[in-house]
Amino acid sequence: MTTRSASPAAKVYREPAVEPRSRAPRRRRHTLPWRRLLAPYVFVLPFVLVFLAFSVYPLFFTLRLSFTDWHGSGAAHWIGFDNYRYLLTSNGFWASLGNSGVLWLLIVPAQLVLAVLVAVLLNAIKRLRGFYRVAFVVPFVTPLVAVAQIWIVLFDQDNGAVNAMLGAVGLPPVGWLVTSGWAKPTLALLFLWKTTGFVVLIVLSGLQQIDRGLYEAAALDGAGRTRQLWSITVPLLRRSLMFSLVLQTLAVFQMFAEPYVVTKGGPYTSTTTAGLYLYNHITRADLGTGAANSFLLVIVVMAVSLLFVRLLRAED
Amino acid sequence: MNPTLRRSGRTARLRVRRGGVAAAATLLVAGLSGCGPDISSDGPAADNAVLQAPSEDSPKGEITVWDRSGDLYKVFDSAIKKFTAKYPGVTVKHEAVDIDSKLQNTLITGTDVPDGVFLDDAKVGRYVSHLWNLKDVLAPYTKDIAKQKVDVNTVGGGIYGVPFDLDPGLLFYNAKALSAAGIDPNGIKTYDDLLAAAKKYQQFKPGAKPIHLEQDAFNSQLQLEMFASQLGTGLAGPDGKLRLNSPQYHQILTWLDTVRKEGLGTRAEYLKPSDVGALDSADEVFYPWAIWFDFAPQQQLTASKGDWRAMPLPAWTAGGARSGAMGGSSFVIPKDAKNPKLAWLLYRFLMFDQAGYTAVYGPNAVYPGGLNTSVPAYLPAADPAKPLFRPIDAMGGQDVWKTAVEAGREIPGGAPIPAWWSGAVDYLGTDLQKMLDGTLTPQQVIDKAGQDIQTNLIDRK
Repeated sequence: MTTRSASPAAKVYREPAVEPRSRAPRRRRHTLPWRRLLAPYVFVLPFVLVFLAFSVYPLFFTLRLSFTDWHGSGAAHWIGFDNYRYLLTSNGFWASLGNSGVLWLLIVPAQLVLAVLVAVLLNAIKRLRGFYRVAFVVPFVTPLVAVAQIWIVLFDQDNGAVNAMLGAVGLPPVGWLVTSGWAKPTLALLFLWKTTGFVVLIVLSGLQQIDRGLYEAAALDGAGRTRQLWSITVPLLRRSLMFSLVLQTLAVFQMFAEPYVVTKGGPYTSTTTAGLYLYNHITRADLGTGAANSFLLVIVVMAVSLLFVRLLRAED
Repeated sequence: MNPTLRRSGRTARLRVRRGGVAAAATLLVAGLSGCGPDISSDGPAADNAVLQAPSEDSPKGEITVWDRSGDLYKVFDSAIKKFTAKYPGVTVKHEAVDIDSKLQNTLITGTDVPDGVFLDDAKVGRYVSHLWNLKDVLAPYTKDIAKQKVDVNTVGGGIYGVPFDLDPGLLFYNAKALSAAGIDPNGIKTYDDLLAAAKKYQQFKPGAKPIHLEQDAFNSQLQLEMFASQLGTGLAGPDGKLRLNSPQYHQILTWLDTVRKEGLGTRAEYLKPSDVGALDSADEVFYPWAIWFDFAPQQQLTASKGDWRAMPLPAWTAGGARSGAMGGSSFVIPKDAKNPKLAWLLYRFLMFDQAGYTAVYGPNAVYPGGLNTSVPAYLPAADPAKPLFRPIDAMGGQDVWKTAVEAGREIPGGAPIPAWWSGAVDYLGTDLQKMLDGTLTPQQVIDKAGQDIQTNLIDRK
């Protein structure tokens, strides 16, 4: 067996270097391994401290809170799983999850299809490519409250532009924001308009990873554009799509500002999303129940996300 | 050495090291989770601290007070300048803050707690354990403050807010449209009279839905409470017990349901485009609402601007009270304030000193005609003969001050606001909306909302 340390050549080579010329280099050689060992920890320490203070600590504090009846003042009494029991038997909690689930169905599949189509088109465009890419991201960076106000005006039942257009072609007005049947699709449309540009960016970056040679080879084999889309683009975009899927699932289940500003969770709590329901507990100082609600939400979102990740692995 | 064994040795060491790091992190986090806001003692809740007035002749110090941003902030800002002119030793840091989103966390953590906060009456009850009891400092003024305002700031015998405004309910009506229909608004004395006038108007203008039926859950509950306060009741009694299942609420809900059933109501959210459209087209001509509706003719209505007037609300029974309170705000002083006595001095000046309340309600740079969306809760300041704001041009030059102040004096007391009031909107506000859409009866609203409020709010306190 030969190792580097046992090699005679190495011994011959090392001899002069080992000979100390002064005391200083020897000290440096002794401290160097410690420095090397500690350096990475020192470099990551600021992040670890911030992470502990602002992520891990609040997480554990919230966990502790979820087993108490604390209302923001006075003593918190340990009540075991009572908050969880209350939520799991409460119609409001399940209705809020149901609302988020329906919004997910209305938003995420449509958004992924739309994002792929738009990204493919943007990739193919040669002129003004930069302009169009920016144009698609503009809704994402527009303040939500401004967008929400526009939505309120556009979709007003009596004086909104959308109903005016329907009226122009002889259709009856629709109670977009004031009927429980239409409020969710209208809110989903707002979310789609606001965030699809972001998903397009992710898909676009995935598109640019695909080897152009694959398309040339497919074209030589006689595959048309549609065939190339289904057989090359979509399968190779799978990772980008899964990433977007998980990200948007999180976003939909945390959706708060849109219903808060546009519908205030109504009509009849039909747009009270899981995020808004959680907020309602916190604002009425029912902090223990709010904490328990947030953990139940984490479990649900984590389960759904893990399911998607598993699907991705199975495909691989 | 066998490479496999060496690898497994490394893996074991790695596991031990990882386990050590994980254990250390867990210990650290477990230790940390014991820190933060104090949730382990009964201290603040049990301590019913009563504030005393400052004794110094020339008080000195700095206070921070929070107000809502917008026009009211500017009004208070100019009034505070008058306060600092009177008390040159006091510096006031006046901050425009999103109080709803900041106050709860600030009070819980005790960090950067302001000395005084402008707060909706409906929210005072939620924070009493963090606030000074102002019973003693308010004692010289209490008998001269509208009873309704004292009641909404009273919890367990303590008074936790310096009453600011009284928001009397009034019946706003489109005088020009009613005149064209041959309806004399002075004949509307009761809610039955209002129904009859609405029917007559509808005959004059088919398709019109003359009475406003609120479509927002929060505002509809607020309006319901205005009607209830007119009858001397409210969602909860002084003992905290729910009073929803009562003849008064049944009467109010039945009346609202009748407006719906007979097609006399416009379903719209307060001053949203649908509402403004119906008001401007004179399809909606009766608006039972708080005095702050007068903002609409001044700022939002165009076609019907100048046509609107205000009168006291109709009574529920002939000779009954002609107004109820809808909304309102007060000033609270947190226990963790650095200079609570100086904060009291400021609020005493603004509300009970003629120079102060004149600066707030009288003509100023923001409102040249005076602040006319509410009236003072301090009765000596609310003298019908000494208006603080001028007649309103957009209301046809009507002296709304006199109407509102006189209506305000009819508001019965005895309607405290429970800490869970805003939470009840999810149940009562929502069920009320269902009734106005025709899917619940008044009794079903009372039963269902009552049970939900009891289970989800009262029992969980």
